[in-house]
Amino acid sequence: MLMISPRMASGTQEKQYTPSLLSFFIYNPKFGPREGEEEKKILFYHPIEVEKNEKIRNVGLCEAIVQFTRTFCPTKPAKSLHTQKNRQFFHEPEENFWMVMVVRNPMIEKPSKDGKPPTVEYQEEEILDSVYGAVLQQCYSMYKLFNGTFGRSFEAGGVELLIQKLEKFFYRYLQTLHLQSCDLLDVFGGISFFPLDKMTYLKIQSFVNRVEESLSLVKYTAFLYNDQLIWSGLEQDDMRILYKYLTTSLFPRHTEPELAGRDSPLRPEVAGNLLHYGRFLTGPANLKDPEAKFRFPRIFVNTEDSYEELHLIVYKAMSAAVCFMINASVELTREFCEQLDALVGPQLTLLASDICEQYNINRRISGPEKEPQFKFIYFNHMNLAEKSTIHMRKTASVSLTSVHPDLMKILGDINSDFARVDEDEEIIVKAMTDYWVVGKKSDQRELYVILNQKNANLIEVNEEVKRLCATQFNNIFFLD
Amino acid sequence: MLKRDSAGTDGGLPENTSLEESSDFTVLLSGTELKQSESSSSLGSDCSSASQIQTSQNEEVMTDGWRSRRKHVFVLSEAGKPIYSRHGSEEALSSVMGVMMALVSFVQVGGNTIQSIYSGHTIVFMQKGPLVLVSASKSRQSELQLRSELLHVYHQIVSMLTQASINRIFQRRKNYDLRRLLFGSEKVIDGLLDVMESEAGFLLSAVQCLPLASSSRDVLNQVLQKAVTPNLVLSLLVTKGQLLSIVQEKMVIEDARLKPSDLHLLLNLIRASTSFQTGEIWTPVCLPRFNPDCYFYTYVAYLDPPECSVCLVLLSTDKEAFYAAAECKRKIEEGVRNNSVLQSISKAQPCQVRHVGVAELRHFLYMPFDVPDHYGQLPQFTPEVEAPYATGEERVRLMDLYRHLHSRIHSSSRPLKLLYHSTQRETLLAWPQVTGKFEMYACFSPLVNKSLAIGAVTKLLRWIKKEEDCLFICSPPKYST
Repeated sequence: MLMISPRMASGTQEKQYTPSLLSFFIYNPKFGPREGEEEKKILFYHPIEVEKNEKIRNVGLCEAIVQFTRTFCPTKPAKSLHTQKNRQFFHEPEENFWMVMVVRNPMIEKPSKDGKPPTVEYQEEEILDSVYGAVLQQCYSMYKLFNGTFGRSFEAGGVELLIQKLEKFFYRYLQTLHLQSCDLLDVFGGISFFPLDKMTYLKIQSFVNRVEESLSLVKYTAFLYNDQLIWSGLEQDDMRILYKYLTTSLFPRHTEPELAGRDSPLRPEVAGNLLHYGRFLTGPANLKDPEAKFRFPRIFVNTEDSYEELHLIVYKAMSAAVCFMINASVELTREFCEQLDALVGPQLTLLASDICEQYNINRRISGPEKEPQFKFIYFNHMNLAEKSTIHMRKTASVSLTSVHPDLMKILGDINSDFARVDEDEEIIVKAMTDYWVVGKKSDQRELYVILNQKNANLIEVNEEVKRLCATQFNNIFFLD
Repeated sequence: MLKRDSAGTDGGLPENTSLEESSDFTVLLSGTELKQSESSSSLGSDCSSASQIQTSQNEEVMTDGWRSRRKHVFVLSEAGKPIYSRHGSEEALSSVMGVMMALVSFVQVGGNTIQSIYSGHTIVFMQKGPLVLVSASKSRQSELQLRSELLHVYHQIVSMLTQASINRIFQRRKNYDLRRLLFGSEKVIDGLLDVMESEAGFLLSAVQCLPLASSSRDVLNQVLQKAVTPNLVLSLLVTKGQLLSIVQEKMVIEDARLKPSDLHLLLNLIRASTSFQTGEIWTPVCLPRFNPDCYFYTYVAYLDPPECSVCLVLLSTDKEAFYAAAECKRKIEEGVRNNSVLQSISKAQPCQVRHVGVAELRHFLYMPFDVPDHYGQLPQFTPEVEAPYATGEERVRLMDLYRHLHSRIHSSSRPLKLLYHSTQRETLLAWPQVTGKFEMYACFSPLVNKSLAIGAVTKLLRWIKKEEDCLFICSPPKYST
């Protein structure tokens, strides 16, 4: 059973299709319980061109499957449906509200001779339920961050308001899903933390405290540097989805004006403010213009208990970005923004260059930055910290990995195995390509290491991983 | 199928096998239950007792008890008619089965095929001809394995009816109620499902041999080789569910190859019907992988009443060959008695892990591959399971662990060369046949480190090499004519 890349397998032109979104819909069976009312259940359906009856049938199938699985266990209904050609994922984020995502299985199209239609081979095993299930859940989390829960919208404005919100959000959001590059990191939904020394960390803490004291309206703050988190006052689950939004949507849209060319519209107006490099990423793009209208995006946090709606102010200076969250009931005026700008701009600019300097010093001490020796992924369930030396620059659209996708899927398999039991475990495998993969789970932390040592045996591999753990993960993993 | 006492008085031979007209086969099969003795310790150690099965059939469906079952298996026809259910009466489940069929059809209409549903259970669908089989399992086995189990269930049904018959029946009458033909044989399928949970043979597609000194095995081989009759295809001796000797007709070995799964099904069928001590059985059996459309005729008898531990099975293509088969049995009995082999058989122990002499090793599975090409069967060697896996539950749990290892290393898209899994309860190692020589799975205490584990494996392999003559049937003999 060799793993030959399909492209090598035959001499003719083979087309490899990656997984793609076939459809995505949201429904609530309670909204159309009687016969003839089925259409009322459907709150959102993509693609919109699908004929009404087919939409009803597809929703009906999902309802039937959920009901059917309840036959065997009423409390654990369907999570996914596997068919030859596609896979459907089910998620019930709020009672009776169901989200369904249908993904087309990756396939290989092999041309046939004699003008016959090409044969298609579906590769069902290439899709991991854990990965795409997590992607679907994240769709809900992202929606909820900007729109609050389904239930509240329904209470506030009935089905019409809910449908409107869903349409507005998902129409755009679905376009940002890049299903072909989802992997283990989507399962974790973790946060990359910026490594800091104690002094600098304290400087940042005191900066946050000062600002929160001066601007009493600020309820929560989060501090990031270089797309990595340093400090957050938000609950973990809220921060993780906000972090995803910031790093995959907001930040990539705003490149640094200092780096922008002379004729770029991003270059700030020179007049006046040379005191700092601070600027708003949300809200007023240009404080100088008194006529310009602005508004801040609203986010919803703590939806399980206090259910707060907040303005999201994201303010950036060089590589440092701060999020200020203020109760949405307050009207944020231009004066307030100018006050914030004057207060935060200079301090943040200074802080940003401090951090940069300190970071460079640290790097010089620890040695030149060569290609990281080990390819690994680390995740800590307790603080959501994740680190990957396998994934290279994450852009908004794609996160590239430096290892073969099959190895990433093996990591996904090991992660699924870890999830079966709530105990410390270790799994070591040797793949067909002679790569070794070591997975360790210890006390809520998971570590995956990929070793390209074809001739090593189990004991040698073990020694290698021990070395890695000694340098990077001291005292975390129990080793034999 | 006919039950006869050893005096061999005349009775009717089995009627014709056009099963649409008569349900002889299954009536006869169920008729054997009448003579079940109290101490039926014969082959059935792995099979649940009849009383347990009775309860299962009468079980209330949709209750907490029913829902808590580890695995449900359903068989229905394309028309949605219930045929079999592992737990609970299939009649009571007919509406659920209707839903299953509806799901299958709905997806089919879209030019697609439903494969499985994942919830708290894994629900797997399989269609074979006019039958639909569904498994709903909490066992967390892979989809591939659950489907392979369903295939075995399908094949067991075929072994009783033949595939050609099944297809023909449903072609004529889509609404046919197959239970009419399978009445009384639910316990065969129940037994099969039980055995698949706790035995490794199905997982590895291999059969287990009783370790026997090669001299004794040679004697048995010779005795079987000589006792032939025209149209005899296969002779085998089985004890305690393990193979003693198997002799095949030349063409069987070379062209057609008896598959281990056929052998398992055959043994299961016999297990379910031989709850008697004395007497002989003559019954049609279909071997689905060998030829799914026709019957062989099987002669089954015990060589050692009243213990009834050594079972002789003769397979013939001739419907009328009962007397010839009985004559073979007589010769074999004589040969076995003359050589006092029965004693060595009864003394022979299924091997135990402690014989290997490696302290950290708790259990292992080993399957050699370097047998001559023409040998179709893959012997497999599973020692007796001892503490801490001696209880039924622990045994199934151990098998679950092996099954999981198997599914990972034999994944169709990302197979592995080695898998080492260390948990709080045990450490497992899976080493597939990349070298071409063998496949093995080992289970150690959780306290081993990797060096100890590798050391233990090395010692184990050495021991197996030393003992392989009596552990495995290395070259299956052919009939001597």
